[in-house]
Amino acid sequence: MDLMIDVQGLRKAYGDGDLILKDVSVTFAPGEFVTILGLSGAGKSTFLRCLNRLIEPSGGSISVPRAILEDASRGAGAGEMVDLAKASARELRLWRRRVGMIFQQFNLVKRMSVLDNVLSGTLGEANLFASIFRSFPKAERERALRNLDRVGLLDQAYQRADTLSGGQQQRVAIARALMQRPKVILADEPVASLDPKLSVQVLDTLKRVAEEDGITVLVSLHVLDLAKTYGDRIIGFQGGRIVFDGKPEALSDNEVERIYFREGYEHAPATQRTTAHV
Amino acid sequence: MLQQPSEPRLTSEATLPPSESRLPQPPRQGWKGWMVGVLLAFILGWSFGGVQFDFKELINGAPQMLDMFQRSIPPDISTLTDPERYSVPEELAVKDLLLPVPLEGDLGELKERWWRNTFPNTVLGATIQTIQMAVAGTFIATIIAFPIGFLAARNTSPSPILYHIIKLSVNFLRTIPDFAAGLILIAAIGLGPFAGTLALAFHTTTVLVKLFSEAIENIDPGVVEAVTATGARYPQVVSFAVVPQVIPDFISFVLYRFETNIRAATVLGLIGAGGIGLIMNSDFRMFQYPQAAMSVIVLIVLVMLVDYLSARLRRLVI
Repeated sequence: MDLMIDVQGLRKAYGDGDLILKDVSVTFAPGEFVTILGLSGAGKSTFLRCLNRLIEPSGGSISVPRAILEDASRGAGAGEMVDLAKASARELRLWRRRVGMIFQQFNLVKRMSVLDNVLSGTLGEANLFASIFRSFPKAERERALRNLDRVGLLDQAYQRADTLSGGQQQRVAIARALMQRPKVILADEPVASLDPKLSVQVLDTLKRVAEEDGITVLVSLHVLDLAKTYGDRIIGFQGGRIVFDGKPEALSDNEVERIYFREGYEHAPATQRTTAHV
Repeated sequence: MLQQPSEPRLTSEATLPPSESRLPQPPRQGWKGWMVGVLLAFILGWSFGGVQFDFKELINGAPQMLDMFQRSIPPDISTLTDPERYSVPEELAVKDLLLPVPLEGDLGELKERWWRNTFPNTVLGATIQTIQMAVAGTFIATIIAFPIGFLAARNTSPSPILYHIIKLSVNFLRTIPDFAAGLILIAAIGLGPFAGTLALAFHTTTVLVKLFSEAIENIDPGVVEAVTATGARYPQVVSFAVVPQVIPDFISFVLYRFETNIRAATVLGLIGAGGIGLIMNSDFRMFQYPQAAMSVIVLIVLVMLVDYLSARLRRLVI
C-alpha cells in the first residue's frame, strides 16, 4: 500500500511533565481526508505539529516518502522512507515545503496584503534574497492569483489581510497552503473561531481543493457532525491515545462516549505555546 | 395558582442570609498596607533630608528669581530678527548664501566659512544645528539598533548565548547617560556638534535596542509558526512574520526618541557640544537675560513643534 505518513510509537512530553502523546501509531494514505476528534488537551494539536516537527517529538518515528522531499517522480527511489525525527535541518525544510498548515487563528500577517500572504506560501522554494524584499517572480504572482481565485477571493487580492472576515481569512490561509503544492495539509481546528455557516464554507473549500489536487488532509475538529460529514476516515483522540480509527459510519454512540466522556480524563498541561522561536 | 419554580434553592438576592458570615470574605491584609505606608514615609523623609529641602531658602530666593525674570523682559527678539546678528559678508548676497549653488574661489570659501562658523553662532543657526544633531543622532542609532534588536530578542536571536551577551552589554552601556558620553567624546574629538551627535547616537542606540527587542518579543507567535511551517528560512521568517508586526512600534519608538533627542541635544550644548544650548549657556553666564530668554522661547516653540509634527507623522504612518 502507498504510504504518505507512517507514525510509529509517537510520544511527546513537555519538560518532565505527563505524556501528552502516548505511543501513537497510525498511517495515512495519499489523498485521504481524515478528521481528528477529541477534547481540548487530548493531543490533537500536538499530534499535528509533530508531523511537521513544529513540535519536537520525545520518541517514536514519523516516516515520509523520500520522493516527496526530493520532488522525484514516482518510481525513483520508490518506497524509500525518511524518518523525520532523524531528518537533517535541510530534509525537514524540504518536507515542510510540501506540507501546508492551517490554524485556528488563521495566522495571517495582518498588515500585509492578501496576495503577499498567499505568496508567503512559496518561501520554502523562493530565492532567499529576493523574497526577503517581497519580490517574487511573475509566474509565482500569477499562481498566487489563481489560487486566490480557487478559494473565491480574487477581488480581495490587494486588500490588507485584516480587512477580511474570519471566514475569508481562513480561505486565504488555504490559498497560502496551496502555494506550497502540498502533498499534505494539516489543519488545526480550522473552524473553531468561525460560526457554523462560515465553518461549512471553509471546510467545503478545503475538501474541494484537496480532491482537485489529491492532497492528504488531516483536520482536527471538535464538532462531531462536521467530523462525520467531511471525513473519509475519523480518528478519535483521548488522553494522548488514539481510541477510534475508522469510517464515519463505524463511529457509534459508544465510541463517541469513549472519545469525549471517558472517566479518568485529566486535563493536560496547557504549555503548548510560549513565545514562538524563529 | 402559580406553582413555585421547581428549584427554590436557587439563590436570588432576596434569599441571601441576613448574616454575611457564609459569604466569601475578601482576604484581609491590613498590616501589609501599614508596612508599605511606614516604609514610604521613611523613604520620603530620608530623600527630602538628603536634598536639603528648605522652604525658607525657596522664599528667600524668590526676590532674586523675580529680579531675573524682570531683567529678561522683554526678551530680546533682535537676536532672531536683526540682520546685523547674521554678519553676512559684504561680498555675498543673501540669495548666494541660501541657494545651494556652488560659488567659485574665494566666494565659495567665504560662503562655506559663514555656514560653518558664523551661522551656527546665531540663535536661528544654533536652533537648526540642534535639530540637525537630533536628526543625525537618531538616524545613526536607528540604523545600528535595528539589526541588534533582533539579536537581543529571545525569540529571534540565533543563539541563546549571543542573546545573553548582547542583552547584558546593551543593558550596561545604557547606564551611561548621554551627557557623560558627551563629555568623553568631547575630550576625545573636541568641542562641537559632531561629538554631541555621536553622544546622542550612542545613548539612543542602547535605548532603541531595548525597545525594539521588547516589541519583537511581544509579537503574535502564531504568524511565526505559520511562516516557519511553509519551510521558510530564518531571514524569510523575520522578514515576513516579524518585521510587519513590529514596524508600527518601531516607527513610534524612533519618533519618540527623536523628540527626546531634541531636548537632549540642548543639554549637550551646555557642555560644549554646539547648538542652542551653547548659546543659552553663554548668554546666562554673561548676564544677558533678554537674549537668554529669547533662546528659551525659541526652544519651547521648537519642542512643541516637534511634538506636534511627530504626533501627526505617527498617525499618518500607523
